Amino acid sequence: MSQQLLMVGTEKGAFLIQSDENRENWNLTGPLIKGWKVFDLQLDSRTQPTLFAAVGHFVYGPSIHISRDLGKTWEQMENSPSYSKESGFQLNNIWSVVPGRPEEPDVLYAGVDEAGLFVSEDGGQHWREIESLSGHASRKEWQPGAGGLCCHTILPDPANRQRMWVGISAVGVFRTDDGGKTWQTKNSGVTQVLEGETNKDIGFCVHRMVLDKNDSNRLYQQNHMGVFRSANGGDSWEAIETGLPTTFGFPMVISPTDSNTLFIIPLEKDEFRFSKGGSLAVYRSTDAGDSWHPLNQGLPQSAYVSVLRQAMTVDDSESGGIYFGTSGGQIYYSLNNGDAWQTMPFSLPRIYSLSAATLE
Amino acid sequence: MKPIPVKVQIPDLLLHCTGGKKQVEVEGKTVQGCLDHLLQTWPLLKVHLFDEEGRLRPHVLIFYNEENIRWLKDLNIPVAAGDRITLLQSVSGG
Repeated sequence: MSQQLLMVGTEKGAFLIQSDENRENWNLTGPLIKGWKVFDLQLDSRTQPTLFAAVGHFVYGPSIHISRDLGKTWEQMENSPSYSKESGFQLNNIWSVVPGRPEEPDVLYAGVDEAGLFVSEDGGQHWREIESLSGHASRKEWQPGAGGLCCHTILPDPANRQRMWVGISAVGVFRTDDGGKTWQTKNSGVTQVLEGETNKDIGFCVHRMVLDKNDSNRLYQQNHMGVFRSANGGDSWEAIETGLPTTFGFPMVISPTDSNTLFIIPLEKDEFRFSKGGSLAVYRSTDAGDSWHPLNQGLPQSAYVSVLRQAMTVDDSESGGIYFGTSGGQIYYSLNNGDAWQTMPFSLPRIYSLSAATLE
Repeated sequence: MKPIPVKVQIPDLLLHCTGGKKQVEVEGKTVQGCLDHLLQTWPLLKVHLFDEEGRLRPHVLIFYNEENIRWLKDLNIPVAAGDRITLLQSVSGG
């Protein structure tokens, strides 16, 4: 039997939550990297299992920490992502650390604020800026959103090593088809927030984007302005909002066992950013976004909390394990594809990210 | 003039940069020399104290004895036995 590991990034450190074999009891470890904001925490098991944490602090700035013993000890990477002095950019946060494709086990990507993409080709020892993205022709007109000017979503195409998508809040979706040499905006059909003065293809506020691993032309995004689907790799998008109480929200996940099944958490837009009327609910689509239905059995109905973009995840079990963490520090989970929810017996700091891994 | 040993106090959040030591000792003839030795010995501190352009991060405080080095025009000040350097975070507001 396997155990489930949940990796939680919070405003005051990282936490690891490990289940028993039946996923009935959960054991909390932490805070790890105590006192630091942990924006993302990922287990990379392509070679030696390694935890990567995107860490930051208002005073001391961002860096990447790693653990090779499942969180017992941590080490700050001496050469974390950093802009050159000549770039004129400032590294404010590292929002995400994303392992590359299975066939390139030493490759990792990092999405940062000010918006940019970094790559490591030696397992995180050294990082270099993908200058073709941060040097995009539209760059001078990129404007930050409420959360900053952040590149947060990074999706390498599992079927095509030359293709990758990134999402930048308040700017939009970009795609490369030539291994990162050039990038094109891919926002046609998405409702625009505010166009640039000369660049009309920016000003699209993607909050989270997911990829159908069985058909990488199929993408979905939770955007500031709605929920959208693309059937052509982002060349065009269509709204998929039937059944939603609001179209604003942050996280979006896709089931690893049924790629027609998606989960989002609608929030009241956009000055409020909490569940509408306090009714906390996950919305599920089982028809690739054609329709959405609420799932709130077991969830509190007087919960004025937010769920941030990286704070929902799924495990790879057949029964469908789904987990999300709130701005109030609670974690809710379902072991039956969202039909019923339970509350973990922990109160944590504001939760930035959740990820799941199965330990054999 | 021989280098003078100077004690440096490390804030809790940066202890992982100094192997858990709350106080480390560096040597230098001047304040700048001591800071150079500090970063040479404990290079992980650099990214937390200084930004991409080498400027002291806005909310980092480094005190040389009772002096905030941000207000000193020149760090080539000779150090003396018993001097100390303190790293602090400046957090305003409630």
